[in-house]
Amino acid sequence: MSSRLKLALAALAAGTLLASLTAVAMPAAAPTSAVAAASNSTADHSKFKALQQPFKTGPEVTKACLGCHTEAAKQVQHTKHWTWEFTDPKTGKKLGKRNIINNFCTSPISNEKDCMACHAGYGWKDSSFDFSVEANVDCMVCHDTTGTYRKLPGDAGHPVYQRREFPPGSGKFVEAVDLRKVAQSIGKTSRSTCGSCHFFGAGANGTKHGDLDAALQNPDKYLDVHMDRKGLNFTCATCHQTSGHQVAGSRYEMAAAVTGPAHMRGKADAEPASCQSCHGDRPHPAQLAKLNDHARKVACQTCHIPEYARDAIGTELSWDWSQATKMGADGKPVAAKDSAGRRAFDSKKGAWVWDSYVVPEYRWFNGEFAYKTLGDKIDPSATVEINHPGGSPAAADSRIWPLKIHRGKQAYDTENNILIVAHTAGEDDTALWHNYDWQKAIGTGMKAAGLPYSGKYGFVSTEMSWPITHMVAPKGDALACHQCHSENGRLQGVAGVYLPGRDRPRMLDMIGWTIVALSLGGSMMHGILCVLFRRCKRSKQA
Amino acid sequence: MGKLIGGFIAGVAVVAVLVWAMAGSLMFREVPSPFGVEETVARIQQNIQAAGNGWDLVGLRNPGKAIEQDGGNTLPVLMVEACSTRYSGPILKNDAIRFLSILMPCKISVYKKSDGKVYIGLMNARLIGSLFGAEVSALMSQVAADQARFVTFDPTKPAPPMIKGTPGGAATGASGAAAGGC
Repeated sequence: MSSRLKLALAALAAGTLLASLTAVAMPAAAPTSAVAAASNSTADHSKFKALQQPFKTGPEVTKACLGCHTEAAKQVQHTKHWTWEFTDPKTGKKLGKRNIINNFCTSPISNEKDCMACHAGYGWKDSSFDFSVEANVDCMVCHDTTGTYRKLPGDAGHPVYQRREFPPGSGKFVEAVDLRKVAQSIGKTSRSTCGSCHFFGAGANGTKHGDLDAALQNPDKYLDVHMDRKGLNFTCATCHQTSGHQVAGSRYEMAAAVTGPAHMRGKADAEPASCQSCHGDRPHPAQLAKLNDHARKVACQTCHIPEYARDAIGTELSWDWSQATKMGADGKPVAAKDSAGRRAFDSKKGAWVWDSYVVPEYRWFNGEFAYKTLGDKIDPSATVEINHPGGSPAAADSRIWPLKIHRGKQAYDTENNILIVAHTAGEDDTALWHNYDWQKAIGTGMKAAGLPYSGKYGFVSTEMSWPITHMVAPKGDALACHQCHSENGRLQGVAGVYLPGRDRPRMLDMIGWTIVALSLGGSMMHGILCVLFRRCKRSKQA
Repeated sequence: MGKLIGGFIAGVAVVAVLVWAMAGSLMFREVPSPFGVEETVARIQQNIQAAGNGWDLVGLRNPGKAIEQDGGNTLPVLMVEACSTRYSGPILKNDAIRFLSILMPCKISVYKKSDGKVYIGLMNARLIGSLFGAEVSALMSQVAADQARFVTFDPTKPAPPMIKGTPGGAATGASGAAAGGC
């Protein structure tokens, strides 16, 4: 069996398993790059006395880490990985997971014990969590190199301390983590550690982003030229350069139109996680100068990521919460998969649509999204945009970008016209996934969020946009000219730009066709007259 | 008289060019599918299994896999292979037309194009059969009728799972010999 085949089967198996989960931080598979990085380190953590004790909890390990890395926790506590919050510097609006009802699992509020499997911390189980306690920062979730560190839903961000069956009733068991071993094997972040959350967001492999899934742990060139394990072998941090634990390249603070020449690595770079940072804003050779002209209006990603989710894992295209709580014929909860074995329906969560090799949708984008946040009014007669991409054809900071637009239906308060926070996860009487009662779940969720609830709810169509920027294809697979410069091409719906092949000035067309018609008519008239006059001539001669 | 013969030859030439240009689209046809690649494949497989007339699934191939292994991208393409001994038997037993085993098993291709839509590629069995005499023509007409039912979908029915473990290869493999019904 070839390694590619093994990888594909493994990815498929992982996807199938994870489809039934809600929010699981996967164990980071021991990456060869991280191991190599650890071996190049100037410190062998296994020799540190502080890390040779039998740790019982994650916070105990953190305290040991902080004994040397005195500023690390303070740095982490200023990041979105810790706060789950971002303040838009232009509008002052509070964004981030704590303030947005997303189009997938909706909101972590009242569901913290489950959602915090992907928090870089320990113990965030409700609104009482103390964000100032340094020992609660989780170092290992990002720096583990053993691939054995796993956080499960329901543990409020703590790793698995005792062997247990997961999912319950599945017959599969997750082993207890050996904290001392993990602490002694600490290293740089890797595709596996970052991917343990970013590949599995929203409860299953590949669900959320579309251009991020577990296939990127060991990708081939065709999937991502930069991360190609036999080629450049980039880790996430190669582009998402990190300083003081601040990771560059967040979706919340993007630049869609970086200009200027390529930068040297090591030099201060405002946007290290951009194509232009390495390739410059005129990346094509002189004989392809026309393509460089395109770069003034078209993002690199538009041509160089022809499709996203280019693997068997695929990505979720819609989540319909209005189907949740619908039971099977026997009145019991049911679940179903689609033809490819991906999740399609679950009485707990509703209905999903998945696909692979998805052609992006294209929009003008300036790097800024206008988000709907908790309590913002909506218009239920129209599709609610959770985030609206900013930008316009005339703006210098805008480019035509490829987006994954995830669609769905979400619950909203029909009197107050606001999106709803529902208490979904948990084993208590009001959790939707426990009792299948929307009213109770909404009551608890809205109370925890501090939002009013009229007692009446309905469902509204929603959509959420995700800029596509990973899974860069080899240059030979970039879009060809005709794929945009044609009628019904990729950019059919993108207004504000003249596209030869797609657009035609009506006046010029009319003038051209008039000339053609006059030429044809003139020729025909000439021929007819010739025939007539020749006949006349002949009859005269006769 | 010369003009008449010249006109006749010109007419034949025009017809020949037209036939040449249209032959491809006459022998094969392409229809859009309302479903994704996997669901289209699964529904075709389900229709084949329900078709009767001796039809059996004999394979599911992924011709793009080899290209991916070479480091290239291909949009998804899966080939459903099916065979019916009722139709293949008479052909395989007749030395004069046995060479038509090259057409076996019947293949239906399901693929995504760069417009993001999914299509079904089919051979025009009726037309091709008509090129090889009355017996083959009659058989292939029946194949064509069955084939039309394979790609007629009932969207009210839930999506069935895609069958990967059929004889002759799996969806993840580009190689493997066809077997089963043929």
